[in-house]
Amino acid sequence: MDFSLTEDQITFKKSAIEFAEKVLNKGAKEREKNREFNQDGWDKCADFGVQGLSMPEKYGGLGMDIMTCVVTMEALGYACRDSGLLFAINSHIWTCESPIVKFGSDYQKDKYLPGLCNGTLKGGHAMTEPDSGSDAFSMKCKAEKKGDRYIINGTKMFITNAPIADLLLVFAVTDPKKGFAGVSAFIVEKGFPGFSVGKPLELMGLKTSPIGEVVLQDCEVPEENLLGKEGAGGAIFNSEMEWERSCLFATHVGAMAKDLEDCIRHVNERHQFGKPIGKNQGISHKIAEMHVRLELSRLALYKVAWLKSQGKRAPVESAIAKLFVSESYVANCMEALQIHGAYGYSTEMDFERNLRDSIAGKIYSGTSEIQKNIIATLLGL
Amino acid sequence: MSILKNLENYLLTEIAAGLGKKTLQPDEDLLELGIIDSLGLMKLISFMEETFAIKILDEDVIPDNFQSLNSMVKLVELQAQN
Repeated sequence: MDFSLTEDQITFKKSAIEFAEKVLNKGAKEREKNREFNQDGWDKCADFGVQGLSMPEKYGGLGMDIMTCVVTMEALGYACRDSGLLFAINSHIWTCESPIVKFGSDYQKDKYLPGLCNGTLKGGHAMTEPDSGSDAFSMKCKAEKKGDRYIINGTKMFITNAPIADLLLVFAVTDPKKGFAGVSAFIVEKGFPGFSVGKPLELMGLKTSPIGEVVLQDCEVPEENLLGKEGAGGAIFNSEMEWERSCLFATHVGAMAKDLEDCIRHVNERHQFGKPIGKNQGISHKIAEMHVRLELSRLALYKVAWLKSQGKRAPVESAIAKLFVSESYVANCMEALQIHGAYGYSTEMDFERNLRDSIAGKIYSGTSEIQKNIIATLLGL
Repeated sequence: MSILKNLENYLLTEIAAGLGKKTLQPDEDLLELGIIDSLGLMKLISFMEETFAIKILDEDVIPDNFQSLNSMVKLVELQAQN
């Protein structure tokens, strides 16, 4: 395994940091307060190429390899103070664009990918339901074939990008007898009859990322919008999650790196009892532990990227990375806040927002507990 | 050992252990019977790739290819040719 970055990757990473610092942070605090999605930031990210990072050039993407995607997401996580925007973009890429590239027909790719890459279309996926979260395949949403279309009925909950999405990848049961293997995925446009979206939900963090409920009431979906074959929903979902668990969580690694730099600067500059507070082991050990978590998070993530770049499966490794990075990010956010004391607790600084945003990482893309189930099962338990 | 027997042994000992089944019929619908669940399928795919030195693409992870022992044997044979 060789995790060293190429010159091109280092250059691209630097340019992504400069771009985010210059373009994405203005007004971030106000938007967070107002739960406002950063449409301008979305557009600027699309101009920079973020939405099309890993997409084929044929559809307007940059055709980047996975390691470059991970490094770019790390750079954005480091420099962008709007985690909600990054969360929305990552959901768009890994749960909508990416499965269309991998499983879509030529018709679907030609129709949707150019707009998804240039940011004029926004996407996401709709899996979670009011009564099925971790047990995702116990969903109630059903799709019934009638002539040349499917009729979908059901409700989806906590759907990232739902209030702003032009299309969602909706998972629904097409064969109830087959359990998880009876689930199919459909590309559903917001204008399809019977499709509606509720108001954005109010959550603890990620306030600039619009998340909502989706109602499908006799929603008519043309048969050509079935993604892959009937029953391929499970494979599509698992494939999505492997990608999301590596690339999305790279933004957390970047954010951890920024927090650590801020903490080191602070503990060297802040004097109490006549010396920098970093000279106290109670503080320096916190910094050391933060660094250990950051380095190990990065290594876990790079290993997944390396495996995938070799065309290998990484179900255990991506579960390990997702579990470790998300738990480490929360732990580091707690330490960063504690190190900054009352200033850390103040909304004037970013530490309390980081902490609120970080907690969501232990829940979405499969909870920490589900990652442990995956790891244990694949170890033969 | 034949591909079918190899798969049957693995399913009975690793995936369906605890269900009390001693044998599996070649055309028995393992999905409808709930013998293979989503995590079980991930284990099974890893086993098939390692044991038979094949690569199973995500696009091939559809019910038709994992419904029964016979359908899995067909998949292995097809991938082995590729």
